[in-house]
Amino acid sequence: MEERSVRMEVKDIYIRNMKTEDFNDNEYLEKYIAELRQNGMNVICEKLDDVINWGRSNSVWPFTFATSCCGIEFMCVAAARNDFARFGWEVTRNSPRQADVIFVSGTIVHKMAPVLKRLYDQMAEPKYVIAIGSCSISGGPFKDSYHVVKGVDQIIPVDVYVPGCPPRPEAMLYGMMQLQRKIKLENFFKLPNKPTITDDGKTEGGNK
Amino acid sequence: MENIQKYILSLAPDAKIEEAQYLTATIAPESLRKVALGLKEKGFDYLMCLTGMDYKDSLGVIYHIAPSDDEKNVVVLKTGTPDRETPTLPTVSDIWEIANFYEREVHDFYGIIFINHPDMRKLFLREDWKGFPFRKDYDADPAINPIPEKIPSCESFETVPTYSINADGKLVKTESTLFDRKEYVVNFGPQHPSTHGVLHLRVSLEGEIIKHIDPNFGYIHRGVEKLCESMTYPQMLYLTERLDYLCGTMNRHALCMCVEKAAGIQVPMRAQYVRTIIDELTRIASHLIGWACMCNDMGSITAFIYGMRDREKIMDIYEETTGGRLMVNYYVVGGLADDIHPNFQNRVKEFIPYMRKMIKEYHVLFTGNPIAYGRMKNIGFLPKEKAVALGVTGPSGRASGWACDVRKIEPYAAYDKVNFEEVVHPTGGTFDRYMIRLEEIEQSLRIIEQLIDNIPDDGFRAKVPAIIKVPAGEYYQRVENARGDFGVYLNSTGDKNPYRVKFRSPCLSLITALDPLCDEEKIADLIMISGSLDYVIPCVDR
Amino acid sequence: MSSGEIFIVVLITAIILVSAALVIAMLISPRSTNAQKGEPYECGIPTRGTSWMQFKVGYYLFAILFLMFDVETVLLFPWAVIMKSLGTIGLFSVLFFLFILVLGLAYAWKKGALEWK
Repeated sequence: MEERSVRMEVKDIYIRNMKTEDFNDNEYLEKYIAELRQNGMNVICEKLDDVINWGRSNSVWPFTFATSCCGIEFMCVAAARNDFARFGWEVTRNSPRQADVIFVSGTIVHKMAPVLKRLYDQMAEPKYVIAIGSCSISGGPFKDSYHVVKGVDQIIPVDVYVPGCPPRPEAMLYGMMQLQRKIKLENFFKLPNKPTITDDGKTEGGNK
Repeated sequence: MENIQKYILSLAPDAKIEEAQYLTATIAPESLRKVALGLKEKGFDYLMCLTGMDYKDSLGVIYHIAPSDDEKNVVVLKTGTPDRETPTLPTVSDIWEIANFYEREVHDFYGIIFINHPDMRKLFLREDWKGFPFRKDYDADPAINPIPEKIPSCESFETVPTYSINADGKLVKTESTLFDRKEYVVNFGPQHPSTHGVLHLRVSLEGEIIKHIDPNFGYIHRGVEKLCESMTYPQMLYLTERLDYLCGTMNRHALCMCVEKAAGIQVPMRAQYVRTIIDELTRIASHLIGWACMCNDMGSITAFIYGMRDREKIMDIYEETTGGRLMVNYYVVGGLADDIHPNFQNRVKEFIPYMRKMIKEYHVLFTGNPIAYGRMKNIGFLPKEKAVALGVTGPSGRASGWACDVRKIEPYAAYDKVNFEEVVHPTGGTFDRYMIRLEEIEQSLRIIEQLIDNIPDDGFRAKVPAIIKVPAGEYYQRVENARGDFGVYLNSTGDKNPYRVKFRSPCLSLITALDPLCDEEKIADLIMISGSLDYVIPCVDR
Repeated sequence: MSSGEIFIVVLITAIILVSAALVIAMLISPRSTNAQKGEPYECGIPTRGTSWMQFKVGYYLFAILFLMFDVETVLLFPWAVIMKSLGTIGLFSVLFFLFILVLGLAYAWKKGALEWK
């Protein structure tokens, strides 16, 4: 019955106009559910969770952050032909405190790394990270350089990786839809309260 | 040229003159300033490129200088010092103002100290970076320079060292601070929607009025020039499109032409025509996005959507022929990667009248708007002498009255076979820079019209050897980028990797023009001025 | 319902809606703090210097002028609602009120308070 409900879980994540079978990566979500279950989180979403997550995943506000070429394709996703306003994502906020997702588009270099970490820290919970383009996944064509961070997941935790150099706008939309599926899985009332990290490195508080 | 040769020898009798691609003079550091001042008096007021070099036994600098009214007469000055512990050279930043930033870049990468330079901070790397990356004996161990965790304090941004030689002949370092303690300094940060990339400006404000702007680069410095030294020539082409990604094809064109001329490869005319057409389409796309972003910064999101909509049509043309949208990957050494799609000419011919109609619509939508006109009208005047001293080329330079279009000065590809006007405005204000971009789109459409039906049929790629080796020597190639004069300096020792590659970035000059342009303007005008200059930061940081 | 009762109902609904939004968000939102979250946002770079400093008096002038004309607009709204029942006498009273404020505006204009210097 556990397995049946897991499969029911994944099938029930409804993205408008796209069938679950058409997504390339359903095994990841099934593993994610199993891992959450193992860690004691109750994943079977009640109706209220469903409604809240439906609202949350359809109005994720991106942070205007673009360092280089992938930023232009991000602008193309925002423009009229590939429009991410139809997903509810069009309100790009300039302040990290009002943003939900940060599209890390473009190469992150050693000088920019602490700035990115600071901006990520200043974002309010719940926050997500989509790593766009090969430069933010692994350093990209510049991975042999002395000044390039080889993958932004060395600095901040990443939720979705969108490969490409630069990825087509349609690829970025697919990445956004995968993030929507991930959001829909979350049990909103049991979202972990991340521990407070004080300046001298001590942590207090944690998961409730 | 004979006169210049005699003149240089009269100023520095021990100079070694050679006639390579340009007249090259190797002079000792002691006579550098004399020769530089003399050449400046003779009218050589445009410092095109300043390249640092590591000759293994010495460190040196190469200057490409030209007169602004006759840019074909390029003179190359070379100087160097064998001291690798504390290399020093005299500064030329009081002769050519752009050398202020160029010399900071050379100091950053090679460690050369320029005597009497007013601001010898590093340009791209952090002040606590250990080592000089472009030297041939640089240790690239990641443990020496790990990913930093903390942003450096204001003191390290603002401490300005200067070096001078005192009466005993010793090197003396004096430090001063850039901003007073009481000044109100705001960060126009790396993350900002209007900085067109990651540019960090420290703006000293008095109320709403800007007193001083200090740009901080390096937030997207990827070390492209150093990477190229370990790559073969076909591999290097891939990186050039990522420099100034909005006009990637033009950058790639410059490197291809440089290698082709050096290796003596004759490119078929078909490839040259198609390269010209695609370059002009890229210029239109770049001006469209520049216009769209400038209007977006002013608040007109409609203009942004319109500009991007029309740019998508150009992306469609690219995608059909080359498979790529932003990164086209089409030019290779010897010609094109593959022939054009059979539909290419028809699609381009459909696009031309559509774009003409759209430009009229843009003028109706935005140019005549009293708010837009009022915001652009009387701000940001750049006189021609300042533009030349700072090396501001491209549409911004032409808006200041300087006729600096490389397509007219040293025509390349198929530009000598077409009639087009070089649009020059005398006043140099923000509104002129805005109008020039829309007028240049019209001129680009004219060029494409004249070429699209006459593409010859002699093959799309010349025969090139499997491993391309460029004969030993130095080569310089210029191209008219959508933002200015983009140059590639290539130094080869006959191997399949280059010894040194330097890309002359037009956008660095545009940003150095921000401080003089925004003096005593309001902070809202800073956005307009930087939008009208239309720079792209990865081109600056390389 | 009389207008007084409607007013009270609207007032109470407003209070309930706003406090419900705030309280529910406070109860169910996930939370975390770190050192950077408390610091001011300035495009990713730490701020420089203090913010308590002398600021230009131009801001003060701008604020005062705005306040004056904003209050004038607020006072005009009730008159606009019952304009018909007040008749001509009301019109002349309001015109006199506006005339005094226009005099103030003309003085500010002439003295150059409307330009930013």
